[in-house]
Amino acid sequence: MGRLEFTDHDRLRDIVGLVERSDMARFVIDLSALEFIDSAGLGMLLILQEETETRNVRMIVQGAAGDVKRSIDLARLGEIITIAS
Amino acid sequence: MAVRALSLSDCRVLIVDDNEFNRKSLALVIRRAGITDIAFAENGREGLAAVDRFRPDLVLLDVDMPVMNGLEMCETLRRNAAHEQLPVLFQTALDSDEEQVRCFEAGGNDFISKPIKPGECVARVRHQLEKRKLFTDLAAFRERVQRELTHARAMQTSLLPESRRLTEVADRYGLTLDAHFETSSELGGDFWGLYPLGDRRLGLLMVDFAGHGITAAINTFRLHTLIDRLPMQHMAPSQWLVQLNAALKDVLPTGQFATAFFGILDLATDLLTFAAAGSPNPVLGTPAAPGGDGPRIRLLDSAGLVLGASRRAQYVDQSHRLPRGGFLFLYSDALIECGGDELGPLGQDAVPDFVRDALARDRQHPLRPMMEDFYARASLPLRDDLTAVWAARRA
Repeated sequence: MGRLEFTDHDRLRDIVGLVERSDMARFVIDLSALEFIDSAGLGMLLILQEETETRNVRMIVQGAAGDVKRSIDLARLGEIITIAS
Repeated sequence: MAVRALSLSDCRVLIVDDNEFNRKSLALVIRRAGITDIAFAENGREGLAAVDRFRPDLVLLDVDMPVMNGLEMCETLRRNAAHEQLPVLFQTALDSDEEQVRCFEAGGNDFISKPIKPGECVARVRHQLEKRKLFTDLAAFRERVQRELTHARAMQTSLLPESRRLTEVADRYGLTLDAHFETSSELGGDFWGLYPLGDRRLGLLMVDFAGHGITAAINTFRLHTLIDRLPMQHMAPSQWLVQLNAALKDVLPTGQFATAFFGILDLATDLLTFAAAGSPNPVLGTPAAPGGDGPRIRLLDSAGLVLGASRRAQYVDQSHRLPRGGFLFLYSDALIECGGDELGPLGQDAVPDFVRDALARDRQHPLRPMMEDFYARASLPLRDDLTAVWAARRA
């Protein structure tokens, strides 16, 4: 169980580094263990979307449930990020 | 952290010793280390006067002296807030453990052994002076940032409607308007505003930039400038949000975005028309039917792509009846996401009951009890900025 929020920005750099270094075609973010995401956390998903898009990597966010799903739906991130259930 | 060797040439040292030979030899040692600004005193009382007059950066202090000894002088210095941080180095005989303990107890920072060994003496003096310099630099930096933040905070507050403005708008449109704004640190990323559009229409905007603190606050200033350039008069709320979104997309780096609610209340048609971009669900209240038990309270759908994330974003208008006696309650996500140790966060679904309870306690100004309830459960400082606006039509 975890939270993705304002204080996690440093960890984002590691994930972006991971995307930069690898030559993957698909990048799947599994949020099933996440129980809370705040606006900064949503911002991190947007950053990752842009990072993967510029590298022609297909990013998929999956497993969002409960409050996390609700936050993602409210912000309509599905309009720019591929969300799988 | 590596500290660059500090030049001691601009440091001032006071030597307090009743023995002239000791004063001269200490001065010789530290002068060789580059310290030229040296003052002398022959006992504790003279020493205290010299501290006030000479403003030293460090005191080299003998223990046994007539009139007032070194321990007393040091204790007196420490009682004065102005000299709490002044480094004091006692000169003691190295073999006396008891005396060294007394020196520390009197407030000394360190000691140098007698007879004076030049290398040790300079090293200890340098160490204390470097520590002091780091401390004063940090304190000065902190003070400057604090001053600037206080100033910036006043600027941010001035972007929001002040209470006189609330009263003025409320009276003009027959409303009750109450607002609460609190940032989680000195500056915040929330913004709200009231925009009269002629005599019968009023625009209501609430925006919350992702994150909080300085970055988010800078975005509220950007927003304020943009709003002035985007006329609201002849436009549906959804169209206006499309324009605001495009303007924000141009200036916001990826990952920064804002949620928003923009509504126009039309007093002639009793309609509230709004478009939203992922703001928390606003609460709409409509007066009870005759014989009913209290107002009908519900959450409005406010899903919408957050502002500044995509140039292609589209928004949808919704219209709801907001007749006399009805109300609209807008708030930022801190209201539902900030909890405390005992009770968790309120959560979106609990908001209608939260409003209902508050109305039961204060029909006219329910924002007050709402904030009391919120602060009773939330841990401070808040993790996010809180804005809450109550807008009710007078019955």
